[in-house]
Amino acid sequence: MEHQDDEDLKPTPGERVKQVLKEKDVRQVLFFFVLFTALFSILGLWAYPRWMPNIMSKEMRGDESIMIWFTVISAPIAGIVLAFAMRSFIDIQRGDTPPEDGPAISGHTPTVVIWTAVSFLFCTVAIVWGMTEMNTWSQDAIAKESNAMVVNVTGAQWSWSFNYPAQGITTHELNLPVKQPITFNVISDDVNHSFWPVELGVKVDANRLATTVVHVTPDKIGAFEVKCAELCGIYHAYMETNGQVESRADFDNWVSTVKAQGGAQ
Amino acid sequence: MTTLTHNPAASGPAASRPVPQPKKSLITRLHMGTGMVVGIIFCWGTYFVLRHHFSSPYRINHDEGLTDSHNVNITLLASMFMWCLGFLIGIGALIGPFRWLIGKDLTAEEQLYLAGDGQDWKRYFRYCTDHKVVGIQYLVGVMTLLGAGGTMAMMIRTNLVTPGSHFVAPHVYNSLVGLHGITMIIALIIVSTGPFGNFIMPIMIGAADMAFPRLNALSWWVLFTAIPVLCSAWFLGGIPTGWTAYAPLSTQAGPGMNAFLATIIIFAFSTAVAGANITTTVIAMRAKGMTWNRVPIFVVGATISVALAVPAFPTFMAAMIQTGLDRTFATGFYDANIGGSGWLYANLFWIMGHPEVYVILIPGVAALMEIAPVFVRKPLFSYGAAIAGFAGIAGLSILVWAHHMYMSGWMPSLNGPFMVTTEFISIPTGLLFLVLIGTMWRGRPWMKLPMLSVYAFIWDFLIGGITGIYLSDVPADNYLHGSMYVTAHFHYTLMGAALTGAIGGLAFWFPKMTGRMLNERGGYISFWLVQIGFNVLFLGMFLSGAEGQPRRVADYGQVFAHANLISTVGAYSVGVGALILLWAVIHSARSGKIAPMNPWGSKTLEWTVPYPVPLVNFDEPPIVTSDPYGYGRSVK
Amino acid sequence: MASPATSQSKTAVGAVISVVVGILVVAAVGTTLHAHSNLDAPAGYAKVNGTIVAPDGKTYPHAFINDNVFADAADSKIHGSSGGHAGWPSYGPYINLVLPAHTYVTMTMHVYDGGEKMNTPYFASVVGTVGGTINIDGKNVSSLPNDGVQHTFTLHGLPTSSQDPLFVNVPLPKTPEGQQDEPGSPLPKGYTVTFSFITGGKGNYVWNCEYPCGDSTYQNFGAVMGAPGYMNGKVTVI
Repeated sequence: MEHQDDEDLKPTPGERVKQVLKEKDVRQVLFFFVLFTALFSILGLWAYPRWMPNIMSKEMRGDESIMIWFTVISAPIAGIVLAFAMRSFIDIQRGDTPPEDGPAISGHTPTVVIWTAVSFLFCTVAIVWGMTEMNTWSQDAIAKESNAMVVNVTGAQWSWSFNYPAQGITTHELNLPVKQPITFNVISDDVNHSFWPVELGVKVDANRLATTVVHVTPDKIGAFEVKCAELCGIYHAYMETNGQVESRADFDNWVSTVKAQGGAQ
Repeated sequence: MTTLTHNPAASGPAASRPVPQPKKSLITRLHMGTGMVVGIIFCWGTYFVLRHHFSSPYRINHDEGLTDSHNVNITLLASMFMWCLGFLIGIGALIGPFRWLIGKDLTAEEQLYLAGDGQDWKRYFRYCTDHKVVGIQYLVGVMTLLGAGGTMAMMIRTNLVTPGSHFVAPHVYNSLVGLHGITMIIALIIVSTGPFGNFIMPIMIGAADMAFPRLNALSWWVLFTAIPVLCSAWFLGGIPTGWTAYAPLSTQAGPGMNAFLATIIIFAFSTAVAGANITTTVIAMRAKGMTWNRVPIFVVGATISVALAVPAFPTFMAAMIQTGLDRTFATGFYDANIGGSGWLYANLFWIMGHPEVYVILIPGVAALMEIAPVFVRKPLFSYGAAIAGFAGIAGLSILVWAHHMYMSGWMPSLNGPFMVTTEFISIPTGLLFLVLIGTMWRGRPWMKLPMLSVYAFIWDFLIGGITGIYLSDVPADNYLHGSMYVTAHFHYTLMGAALTGAIGGLAFWFPKMTGRMLNERGGYISFWLVQIGFNVLFLGMFLSGAEGQPRRVADYGQVFAHANLISTVGAYSVGVGALILLWAVIHSARSGKIAPMNPWGSKTLEWTVPYPVPLVNFDEPPIVTSDPYGYGRSVK
Repeated sequence: MASPATSQSKTAVGAVISVVVGILVVAAVGTTLHAHSNLDAPAGYAKVNGTIVAPDGKTYPHAFINDNVFADAADSKIHGSSGGHAGWPSYGPYINLVLPAHTYVTMTMHVYDGGEKMNTPYFASVVGTVGGTINIDGKNVSSLPNDGVQHTFTLHGLPTSSQDPLFVNVPLPKTPEGQQDEPGSPLPKGYTVTFSFITGGKGNYVWNCEYPCGDSTYQNFGAVMGAPGYMNGKVTVI
């Protein structure tokens, strides 16, 4: 009989959880957790589409998507850490002597294990997402290689020039036909530069005597900017130029105009 | 190796001990002034000899394709190194080794003299081997570097307040960016391990001094010689590169670049010496009973940090030596025209560069982990997880460097593997958060500046760490690399985490280092101005980065105007806050409230010694019987 | 002993003074850097003189501006400019230009230096001028050989929504070896190069030379090329 009474006294796991949730500080942590997670999620969903420039290619769409969704996915991480910190902060006590000692909790192995496992899980999600995206881009580039239009990009201190070998022209502005796969072969005539057509969402450094390659397919008509993303000397900030994604007809007209002027523009 | 602890003359209270009076010898006459005189003589002497040599028909590189630029670089580099050597000779750094070499080692009295026994404030300007003196010297050095770097930061933000760049010219702006970067990086590498690793750490482990007292003084004075060398860059035309000094822009650069190269080589030497000293001290000189699981977490963190620096920094030194050779003897390490490659530089640099940011981060976090138990009156949550966190970060940090090179085009096939290792580093980093919030859970926090730093760290490092995850993602990095987003991320981690940790450490250990309490009101006002300003500054920068502003640009398009204005306003707030903290430190050190021996009720060993701390720290070597986190009643 | 209130206000005063002193120090550093930036270097102003009908049929005000390129400091001083670092070529007397907006600008340059090979062949072509040509001593050309350039005048700017794009690249012909300007003078023969371009709306632009004359530095683009005041400057369209 005594034996049975002892077993009745031990709480079940479900009851244990209910007990824990009834405690004031646990509820406060949960409240702050929900609050901060919501704040960061909303931030990710609202801020990045607003802040980031026009999406003019699949690659740029992928870039922005990562910014938004990584923020949402990491919101609970921020939420839980800030929740505990906030819960502690609201109890802060002034005074000239230290407050009374707290409970002597010097560790809790299950917590550490779960925390590590959850971090590992988040990591894996991020890695898989990134690898999948990378793989999509490179498969895409390989598939479109044969119809890609080549543009040779030359970075020089402190201007870009773009050579279109098939069209036989070299220009300082980057005009591209819409929905045409492009292969950029990038090189530098001096120090390191970095070719960054911002709204197209790709980037690659320009190095001397070593061609680097990046592929993109612009899929929206409009203006974009080409910037240099690697400090290259006194006028690094001014090493920028205009780009334009236009219809195939407009692009061909532009090529003809440049050719009529001698092939360099 | 000398051990002061075994010297009977060194024990007992200083007041009753005879003040050592070694014969009037060279040792007693040398100080910082004589160092500077000899240094300047060596520097100018070298300069004139080489200038004369290169303008004569018999110069060694006559007709070998080397020209004026190369000669100028040789002359400047040689002069800078000779300044360093001359200073060390002039301050007496080489006397000890030289006397040992000739078999007439320093006497006990001379060693005590070198340790500053019984001397006044002048010992801070001598080659003093007392680790407490070296700690204060490092503190002053760090504050000077932070002040210089901070001034440059104010210049940078002022230039960017509106589009149109009318404050300074682009070449001045680029120099500001590069020199601000290197000044702050140097300052942050030593910000916690310098002052606290030297002053506090040996007392914390119950030792009488560090393992190599003379090397201790050497590490500080070598660093000191690097400061004028770094400043000279401004008078030699500045540098066109960032602090990363990418080749071949660095080989193309004007004379000012030599100052940068020399600074790094000198500084790498200083940190190697300091690293060896700290590591040996912690391994060999812990008090009796201080087993590895009773070592305070700050000591563990500082040791892991310097142990990580030892394999990492030499590659930076090597990269700088190669840049130097390219600039002086036209070697082709980084010149693609003759078979070299800028990628070689990038790899060498980042093999150092990534571990180096953890060298910066870990001591700051470790200081906060030392602080949190004291101010919430609870044991450190999971000492083992803290160690695993630091060790995991240190180990993994050696495998992640090429995430800085995703967009370089060097080896796209390695982008994936580096993405994996980089993402994984977030796991041990997460453990650090767990340790801190676990420590805070159900404790009653005491409102004091060190504890406020813990909260600030959590907010700042959370943002810094999570934005690091975006950057580690290769597709997203296509957009983010080389933009202001990166700048905002690393300021959140380096400044928001490491510097905040150091400020917390300063507030915490101030009573033991100066005998007085840091002015509270000044501390709070400074804290809020800095933290709020910091967040405004760099959240504004995340905005401009997301909008597409490249980094290190002297000017920008109209679309970035709002974000930059916000950032600049935040920067000014940080500046004012930092000035108030500077005032608080100086004022409190001189006339603050006298501190009791253990104002925080902490259980680590440094709080068991009085101020001024005796020369050998403890009258009796302490015996340790438990870890220093024995707070709290038992859990029911 | 001072009362707590007095010592508190004393410390507050101390803090305020420190902040003010700190701000003054930073301001002093800033002022020095600003002065050293030479941002107010004398600029050349294009002067409007009449109107002209451009090839696009529109009529523009016609402005004129002159500048020179010198082979070295001595050369520069002989022609009445400021000299500078011995051995370095320079543009002079104007390093910064101010041009009126929506104007047909004709620039005449007297150039005196020799040259070698360009790093980037593209900049040996004429881009952005009226008619796509430049006039060298009476003859119109639309490009120069890659090894026939002494310097370039390359005007460009930030592509920002708040100003019109403007890009002009004018390669300047190198003077042949050994030809003299005046009998007995050590100066190489100079050329007179004239070209025109049409400015858009107001804006801030820059120009730099794309010919690598930074001898003995990597790709010859260091030294004089990266120093302010010789081979680069500002162009303000007002």
